[in-house]
Amino acid sequence: MTPSTTSGPRGVLALFPELTDVNGDAQNALVLARRAGWAGHLDVAVERLAAGEAPTSTPIAVVLGSTTDPVLPRLLEALREVQDDLEGWIEDGVPVLAVGTGLEALSRGIVLPEGRLDGLGLVPAVAEPLPSRAAGDLVVRAAEGDLVGYENHSRGLVLDAGVEALGAVWRGIGDGRGADGVRHGSIVGTRMHGPVLAKNPALADAILAGALGGTVSVRGETAAAADAAAARIRTALLASA
Amino acid sequence: MLLGRGVRLAARLRKAGGGSAVPGLVVNRVAPGFLGDVLSSFPEGLVVVSGSAGKSTTTKMLVAILAAHGKRVFTNPSTANITQGLTSALLERASITGRIDADLAVLEMDEGHGARLAERFRARLVLLTNVMTDQIDRFHDAQQVQAMLARIAARASDAVVLNGDDALLTALAPKAAVVPFGVSVDVLAAAPRGLGYAATAPERLETGTRVVDVRGRQARIEVRGEALAVRLPAKGVHYAVDAAGALAAAEQLLGTAFDARTAVAALDAMSPVFGRGEVVTVRGRQVEFVLVQNTASLQLNVDELDEGLDQVLVAMGSDVRDPSYFWPADTARIGRARIVSGSKADEVALQLLYQGVAVDRIEPDLGRALDDFLALPEPDRGIKTIVFTADSMRRTRSHLGLAG
Repeated sequence: MTPSTTSGPRGVLALFPELTDVNGDAQNALVLARRAGWAGHLDVAVERLAAGEAPTSTPIAVVLGSTTDPVLPRLLEALREVQDDLEGWIEDGVPVLAVGTGLEALSRGIVLPEGRLDGLGLVPAVAEPLPSRAAGDLVVRAAEGDLVGYENHSRGLVLDAGVEALGAVWRGIGDGRGADGVRHGSIVGTRMHGPVLAKNPALADAILAGALGGTVSVRGETAAAADAAAARIRTALLASA
Repeated sequence: MLLGRGVRLAARLRKAGGGSAVPGLVVNRVAPGFLGDVLSSFPEGLVVVSGSAGKSTTTKMLVAILAAHGKRVFTNPSTANITQGLTSALLERASITGRIDADLAVLEMDEGHGARLAERFRARLVLLTNVMTDQIDRFHDAQQVQAMLARIAARASDAVVLNGDDALLTALAPKAAVVPFGVSVDVLAAAPRGLGYAATAPERLETGTRVVDVRGRQARIEVRGEALAVRLPAKGVHYAVDAAGALAAAEQLLGTAFDARTAVAALDAMSPVFGRGEVVTVRGRQVEFVLVQNTASLQLNVDELDEGLDQVLVAMGSDVRDPSYFWPADTARIGRARIVSGSKADEVALQLLYQGVAVDRIEPDLGRALDDFLALPEPDRGIKTIVFTADSMRRTRSHLGLAG
């Protein structure tokens, strides 16, 4: 695929980074934009939408990070304001990466000690409390290979029958029940917070391929250095698992 | 006003030394006019210093020169050059009526935030340092930075003092009078990698405030046709250019009251610019240690680094269980890391690489990394700088035989 020649950059949209970057999850938008650049798509750039703002263009991919429980109602409110846009993008196949409570917000509901919050209902699942807090390394066997990351949360996503998880938990807790995350339409969700796409270039490039409409192949010294670092992190974690 | 003070106190109580931008953020929400009101309240006006590199040093130099001439100057710490931090810095000094007891203000402004703030202030003088390539990535392209600086320059009433060797700055056409400063033909010829501007003007200045010679920390700077011997805060032609900018602005602001000897004495008395972290001498090399403990301290410390440092080592140890939380920090200002080390070296390297920082080498063995880093010849710009987490700091001190 040749880089687009349409006017203006193509955007990887970080949704409400002021609410969803507590663990650096929103930086996965930067990871996608950089990798697009490394693959020769120099017109791809990060765009940020603040809560209360209206989207002005259609992004090629969306990143929705995790927030803290006290901020969840605010995140849900902000998401509802753009729900029509979001649904339209998902219908058009725009890839969405949703992490942690960001993913929970897309489900039908979130069960909190003080009651239940309604989600957007874009993912057929409900977020329910885990028996105990899950904090530590998380390794997930997925179609893209072994995905590695770090989890720190207290709920698990209970998927409706027939809904596909991101992968099987090999180490850690994920959503409990032996699985982590979800693949539903163009939505990919996980409990791996922070730079999950930097640590798992295969997943990043799979999402990018969906965003750009073709296979993605990064080139150059910087990409090689980044992917070598990611490979060493993965190898070390798998060896200790 | 009271609201901001209360928030500032609360922020301080929560975390000593960490409350820089929070009160400003709150005040900017509840009283959006505050910043513009206070900025307009100084009897001898407002001076805004902006540009890619050298803002902090130039600001400190100008403040020192003005203070030596008896002016009471309000200025902002360089960590507070974004809107919230600026508001917080103003709040700290403002009286109950929102006034600050000073003759004039000299404020360093980040080019992006300064441009956004531009509608809210009138400046007596705007001082622009340069448009550097190592900052371009953050703002996509040089023209974008130029446009931001144009918006800031448009707010000047008396003069825009700007780097006359920077082609993107000389292309600006503000309403106020343009006063250029620069270097001589010889000084430019002696700079092996040029001056680092995105575009260098074809001609050198023949008159005005000019750097005519730089040897180590000694520079000769012509002001009003007289060559002054100026001691720089560190070696490097960049610091001489910063001093020329400060001198040109001071001369403009003080008019006939400007005294060359007073100005030179003020620059001599300035402490070296590396006072932010701890500077130690090991194996005959000066090294600055910068400790980072969380996202905020990483960001604050990175923002305090001189742009274009050419010898930085970054080390993160096993004390950081999950390095994810360093990802929200904008570390692009580091520019280039010679070595990334510590047990989390690969994690740090990933963050830096995606932020656009060049990483020369990843060496998890901290002892070997330190030995090789210290063995590098003295840097061209700034001093050797080690940014580390607490665990790496302990290991570094132990390896180098330093106390504590």
